[in-house]
Amino acid sequence: MKLAYYPGCVSRSTGKEMDLSTRTVCAALGIELEELPDWSCCGATHVPNEFVSIGLAARNIIQADLPIMTACSICYSNLRNAVQRLEVPEVRSKVNAVLTKRYEGAQIRHVLDVILEVLQKNDERLVVPLKDLKVAPYYGCLLTRPVGGLDSPEFPTIMEKFIKTLKAESVNFGLKTFCCGGPIFMPQEKAAADIVYRILKDARKADAEVVVTVCPLCHLMLDARQKTLEARHDEKIGIPVLYVTQLVGIALGLGPEELGLNMNSVSPMAMIERIYERMTEK
Amino acid sequence: MSPVKGDAKFTNEVLRLAGLEVRTCIQCGTCSAACPTAHLMDNSIRRLVKFSLEGRKEEALASSSVWLCTSCLLCTVRCPRGIRPKVLVGALRDIFEREGRKDKDQAYEDLFMRQIMDLGRISEALLSAEYLLADPASAVQTMEMGLELLPKGKITVQKDRIKGTDEVKSIFAELGKG
Repeated sequence: MKLAYYPGCVSRSTGKEMDLSTRTVCAALGIELEELPDWSCCGATHVPNEFVSIGLAARNIIQADLPIMTACSICYSNLRNAVQRLEVPEVRSKVNAVLTKRYEGAQIRHVLDVILEVLQKNDERLVVPLKDLKVAPYYGCLLTRPVGGLDSPEFPTIMEKFIKTLKAESVNFGLKTFCCGGPIFMPQEKAAADIVYRILKDARKADAEVVVTVCPLCHLMLDARQKTLEARHDEKIGIPVLYVTQLVGIALGLGPEELGLNMNSVSPMAMIERIYERMTEK
Repeated sequence: MSPVKGDAKFTNEVLRLAGLEVRTCIQCGTCSAACPTAHLMDNSIRRLVKFSLEGRKEEALASSSVWLCTSCLLCTVRCPRGIRPKVLVGALRDIFEREGRKDKDQAYEDLFMRQIMDLGRISEALLSAEYLLADPASAVQTMEMGLELLPKGKITVQKDRIKGTDEVKSIFAELGKG
């Protein structure tokens, strides 16, 4: 399989491990990625005029001839929204008037969906069974929104299917599709922090050993912010938060450095030791 | 709910940006019920829609709710009328910004868009540093984040420019026109 890859802005900074683990895992699974030439920001959640937002997404889409894959839910949602809105003839002609190349339609995919498709055909490469590992599937908001993407926005199950494919166990996680508040973190820190704290507490209550994410902003909020929240609430939370690509990488037997596991704030090393202990117990 | 006494020009601009279907709103409040930050808002999303349709420009634009939307899209998924309230909130932000109104939330968005226009991509470290000037209180979370991410090698300041910045600039200029 060959896909165009849209890394997104965070791939170069706060989401380095997302990008690294995506590239490593895709290479291991024989998914060939061709980075979009001269890609630009999708606008994330900070371009309020939707016509501009669609234009920014479309500028990236027209760089590719192949289906486009991204590992970031925000990019995924924006590119998908653009594809939907560009079906409206007036919107398409308006946007095409400013682009250097005509937009003619596109297929947008999230890495989760791509990996799951490959593993469902052939799971022989999964050499490390994540047996008994309790995983909280954190969808956040934009993986399934707007409607029409890889799964139902109200009752999504794709992450549970993914977790099951890795032989791990998904916990019942009530806030799995609740927004992390990340987009308002800078100007409204307190509001965002309260939301993140609720989500982490919910994962803890569900007995999760790890939370998996599909979005670099969710990841930043749940992982890099965890220590601050622990200090603020004077309690230990201590749940590692991994990208789906990092978790599948562990199951593929790939090394911590290839997956950027050293870049996570809450270390997943104790969890990985437990995985190997459970494996040798059998 | 036609804008009889209100500012019809404002209503029409919101409708142009957010879609004519906004006029079909039945004020059921599903958007507000779905909203993850509704409890923090002075006016619910439902009321922002009402203000917009009634041409109550000042009430709409002065509302803190405009800046509390996380863009999570749950309102949009659930609206029984197929209205996209998140895009309506975006329209209000856009009108606020185009009129030259200022506050710290607007400042963040403004810096974000300027960086896209200038470099084509976002450098988060650069953006946080620039935002400090607009909102000194953000120094706390910026420092905390910085201390957490720096040892992980996740803070990098990139000032490299993409080749297509002219195209990006014309996207903003042409598609963002009022």
